[in-house]
Amino acid sequence: MIQSVNRAVRILFELQGARRLPLSELAARLNLPSSTVHGLVRTLAADGMIDQDATGRYMLGPRVLGLGNAYLDSNEFRLRSLSSAEALSERTGHAVRVAVLLGTDVVVVHHVLRPDGSRQMREIGIAIPAHASALGKVLLAFHPAASALLPQDVPLAKLTGRTLASRAALDSILEQIREEGLAYEIDEVVLGESEVAAAIFDAQGVAVGAMGVVLPTPEDARDGKAVLGSVVNAVRESAIGFSRSMGATSWPMDPATGQPPRRGRPTTARTPGQAMDGSGL
Amino acid sequence: MPVRQLDARFVARWIGIWDGLIVDAEPLLTQLDAAIGDADHGTNMTRAMRACQAALAAASEDTTAAAFSDLGHALAQSIGGASGPLYGAIFLALGDSVPAGTGIEAGDLVVGLREALASLQDLGAAVVGDKTMVDAIAPAVAEIEQQVSAGAPFEAAVEAAAEAAEAGAASTIPLRARKGRASYLGARSEGHQDPGATSSALLFEALKRAAVQ
Repeated sequence: MIQSVNRAVRILFELQGARRLPLSELAARLNLPSSTVHGLVRTLAADGMIDQDATGRYMLGPRVLGLGNAYLDSNEFRLRSLSSAEALSERTGHAVRVAVLLGTDVVVVHHVLRPDGSRQMREIGIAIPAHASALGKVLLAFHPAASALLPQDVPLAKLTGRTLASRAALDSILEQIREEGLAYEIDEVVLGESEVAAAIFDAQGVAVGAMGVVLPTPEDARDGKAVLGSVVNAVRESAIGFSRSMGATSWPMDPATGQPPRRGRPTTARTPGQAMDGSGL
Repeated sequence: MPVRQLDARFVARWIGIWDGLIVDAEPLLTQLDAAIGDADHGTNMTRAMRACQAALAAASEDTTAAAFSDLGHALAQSIGGASGPLYGAIFLALGDSVPAGTGIEAGDLVVGLREALASLQDLGAAVVGDKTMVDAIAPAVAEIEQQVSAGAPFEAAVEAAAEAAEAGAASTIPLRARKGRASYLGARSEGHQDPGATSSALLFEALKRAAVQ
């Protein structure tokens, strides 16, 4: 490992957190002499990766935005999600998030704000523990080796009192999600917020990402998912259309075989593996 | 010295003062929430105060416990975001745990507040240091509990609790949020006071003012 590259990256991460730091504080956080850090920040500043404010404190520079945008633009799944996400938000009147799995988290790669003009946090780039969120649960369910992803020896983090934190409970929910293609989250990441999410498949039958509608938790939803029903069809239909645009031939797909799941199991009215022509919707 | 009775009128006075403090603090709550949330805590809380006043005006029973329960239901149903269920849990737990009757004593309130904190932590899975309401409420409950059990007058106990809550709210400034929407921001949540802890500190400030009126 090249030490100076590693140090430069740590400087960028520190500035991501504290946003504006004087040289002395930055040096203290890196546990390095100010002179060493000064050389690094000057080099980073020369390339526009960091900048100094009027009081001399360091902050991230404009080139970082360019890199972030370049990353987002290079993600084909995200690019293809833009129109589906916009349409889903318009149809439901709620915010829509598109995410991919990264380790044991989901990372939001696209966020359509709730179309009511209210002030909202922009969530692109945030990471949410997968087991807690609808976006994450659906990606775990359709991951060929989900149980290997989640640590066996560490308890699942409880983000709220309603987070599913037992492995056994999670495993049984993932089984349901594989049949239905959809995952639900009621107050499990943030109190007062619920989400219905669906997996998006590509031509190989791989769940490349997930798309979900975020809505305020309805008063009577605290007893179950039924009340989220108003957006369920919209999410499923959007996911089918989006998956089709990614080349998928069926929805949902079986993560083990890359084929539509076999029928025969008694399930709910929502039939897995339905034809992509929309029949049976 | 006669034992002080905390009746439904005392609860109404407490909430009335909290209402005034929240209305005055609305711009501050909005500003704090804009930094680490959806900027809706100010409006959510003022809406909550209207719902509380309506619930108290419509109260059918004249007991302290019923007043707390009515407030709990009103809060749980009327506020968006996380504050509704969390403040609702506080007052519902108070209503469930204080004795029925037209008045309760300071010791009963302490027991109720202890239950309220437990209920809040059950629902939010937050502990002290997570940059949430718990950071203001937990030290305030500990303070009033300690003062009342040491035999301090009620006024002194709630004054100490209010101070502890305010200090607790201020203590959230350097913290990194580990619960709630603010936790999405990770390290970027550092350097901002938690809006929920701020409105919670006002709840204890209102209790102090209600006790000395």
